[in-house]
Amino acid sequence: MSRVVVIGAGLAGLVAATRLAQGGARVVLVTKGTGGLPLSQGTIDILGYAPERVTRPLDALAGFAAANPGHPYNLLDADAVRLGVAYLRELAGPEVFVGDPEVNLQLPTAVGAIRPSAVVPAEMAAGACVDGARFLITGPGQLKDFHPQLIAENLARTQLPEGGRLAARWAQLDFPARPGESDSTGLTFARSLDDPAYRRRFAAAVRALVQPGETVGLPAVLGVSDASVLTDLTAQIGAPVFTIPLPPPSVPGVRLNNQLTAAAKAAGVRIIPGAKVIDHRSSNGRLLSVISATAGTPREYAADYFVQATGGFESGALHLDSHNVVHETVFGLPLVGADITELVHGDYWGPPQPLFKVGVGVDASMKVDGPYDNLYAVGGILAGATRWQEKSGEGIAVASAVRAADAVLAAIAATDQTPARDDATQGAQA
Amino acid sequence: MTPHDSNNAHDNNNYAADQVARASLDHCVKCNICETHCPVSAVTPLFSGPKFVGPQAERYRHGESVDHSLDYCSSCGTCTLVCPQGVQIAELNSQARAVMKADHMPLRDQLISRTTLMGMAMTPMAPVANAALGFKPLRMVIEKVVGIHRDAPMPTARTQTLTGWLKKRKAPTKAPTRGSLVYFHGCAGGYFEVETSKRSIEVLEHLGYEVIVPKQSCCGLAQQSNGLFDQATAQILKLCDELRAGGKDLTIISASGSCTGMLKHEAHEIMGVDDSRLADVSTRIRDIMEFLLDLHDAGELPTNFKTIDITVPYHAPCQLKAQGMGQPAMEVLKLIPGVKAIESGVTCCGIAGTYGLKKEKYEIAQAVGQPLFDMVKATNPDLALCDTETCRWQIAKSSGVRTEHPIYLVHQAYGLS
Repeated sequence: MSRVVVIGAGLAGLVAATRLAQGGARVVLVTKGTGGLPLSQGTIDILGYAPERVTRPLDALAGFAAANPGHPYNLLDADAVRLGVAYLRELAGPEVFVGDPEVNLQLPTAVGAIRPSAVVPAEMAAGACVDGARFLITGPGQLKDFHPQLIAENLARTQLPEGGRLAARWAQLDFPARPGESDSTGLTFARSLDDPAYRRRFAAAVRALVQPGETVGLPAVLGVSDASVLTDLTAQIGAPVFTIPLPPPSVPGVRLNNQLTAAAKAAGVRIIPGAKVIDHRSSNGRLLSVISATAGTPREYAADYFVQATGGFESGALHLDSHNVVHETVFGLPLVGADITELVHGDYWGPPQPLFKVGVGVDASMKVDGPYDNLYAVGGILAGATRWQEKSGEGIAVASAVRAADAVLAAIAATDQTPARDDATQGAQA
Repeated sequence: MTPHDSNNAHDNNNYAADQVARASLDHCVKCNICETHCPVSAVTPLFSGPKFVGPQAERYRHGESVDHSLDYCSSCGTCTLVCPQGVQIAELNSQARAVMKADHMPLRDQLISRTTLMGMAMTPMAPVANAALGFKPLRMVIEKVVGIHRDAPMPTARTQTLTGWLKKRKAPTKAPTRGSLVYFHGCAGGYFEVETSKRSIEVLEHLGYEVIVPKQSCCGLAQQSNGLFDQATAQILKLCDELRAGGKDLTIISASGSCTGMLKHEAHEIMGVDDSRLADVSTRIRDIMEFLLDLHDAGELPTNFKTIDITVPYHAPCQLKAQGMGQPAMEVLKLIPGVKAIESGVTCCGIAGTYGLKKEKYEIAQAVGQPLFDMVKATNPDLALCDTETCRWQIAKSSGVRTEHPIYLVHQAYGLS
């Protein structure tokens, strides 16, 4: 059975590792810590701004890619994104996401702006900002980072992207997550809402505020482990409910991380947290192993193929030194887009900063343009995108993860002889 | 010199490693991922969480921490493990707590960290000791006077120590074919969890190793986690000398997951012990399941296991996970036909060494472990597996399910029991 090491436990790493394991590879996933999903809003953004607001992301993809040479969407077309999103939905489970990769929803943010995203947690769907919508924005005053007045008043004064306006009013609840706690995080509220008794009291408090015809916008704290919180609250409040994602710790992000980690383990992926890759061995243009910092003594993970899913600057995989030189910190790979004198320009609200487009270059199979024939890269380390500005991060992550995993599985199938195929079949059934 | 000597304790927290751990503070981006994993702040508002008492409060710390809820940190180490930026959150918090407690170290915390002493005192009178610890009125007195909760899990004293067994047993009949290993049994493995040590040694001998068990004492982990750094440092260096006496350059094997963690990294990273003897032992020691998995990965582990038809819950202890090697027991158990090990998926059992014994923390520790106790009971009411001793006692006491080290099934699958 061929061995694959995946480095990184964010969206791209978990998806690639799971697909590889389901395809019959023996997969070890090494990661420095928890990946970025608990920091995410739990939505699947494909293309939100190009740079103008996008309503049909997959229709816009080819034109956007053509206008942005070097962008990952030049290698990953609409079908690749469709494949990636469909696979992610399969892994997360049928109830988790709603929406259509073809169409962006326009959803309220925690400051009352309106953000485009395509495939979103089921609890966010009713928050689509459409002409004539009537929102009541409410949440506990004891929750950090959720300000109903700010959200409602900003939404109410905004001309909607697709025309028209919505009505939004606000109310603050006096409702602690735990007795005596005055400034809890969303996660603490989510854990309380996992408890049916607390949920009943919370629903009653919200229900008392709702006027007929209103849709209720709550903070995204609808439970960590109990999947029935949304339907339960909707029934008890007696009005449609949606959630607005908060700054981290993000409850929908934590849930998605839990779901994908469980899916990876169920597929047989061996996950090794606390294992920062500090070195590697190679020979004749192939990586042989990566070496992780481990308590006591370093550990070596040998493999036939490697998938780098380390993210970029945000996770330390890219590093800008004091001489204005960018480094890829895991393998010292050559970087694309780094040969620019002004990596950061002074126009804060201006065009994308060149620095953030720096990353590794890959071919259409996601194989890294670099010294190793068996190294693939996925997600945030790929050059050419400014993900948060474009709202393209998850689309790139899932499309590249599936593409790389399939390329590795194809390479394994091409080089392995018959005995390994038996192994692969067994693995796929497990 | 006593732990009440505050100058001494403060000196002890000015060592180089403290500075190294504090340097990692600047890597904190306040992402809150540690907060999402903390098992203690999830169940009580008394602990404000690893980021708040750690990277945040640490910036204001000059000597003592500004956030006294720090005392409610159980030192499980989960925050450091999950940090995506490499901040040594748990280490910082353990150091800050040692400073905070230095002037008023409770007698209770000094007593419960003397693990070897407990074993030595209890073994000769095991039936009496066990009966006494099961006697409710006595436990209520202990709770009142000493501060150990009346319902906290206590080890069961055995009538025979590991040393006693080693002396009396028949020498292995098979000549070793794979060279020698040194076995580190830890206090619990010497006095209370004797069966785990016996089975570990028998599995290693079955594989063809000669197992050397040098005379050995405590690693000082319980003292470390209670902030008694001086005593713990003296303990661990004594232990290093003893383990080194077992044989130069030999691999050291242990089935005590948390003591192994103390030797591998905690003594160095939390207490700043910078000694070549510790460095030597920490690079040679392997957890027994880690060792078996390494053998398997190298194609050197016989897998002619007997089928054992069992579905069994497995809980990986925090201090084992903190070693950054994943969950080797899960991988080894997968090799035994018929064994279906179900990972608990729960962060912590709550006990965290001596945390869950303390009367003011007992309820918190039980709440932390409740999802685990429920999972264990639902998965197999007769047997659970876990790699460290105090976690096994906690799971067994609170779930009512017999809890053993995973080596039990390996031993059985090799036909040794």
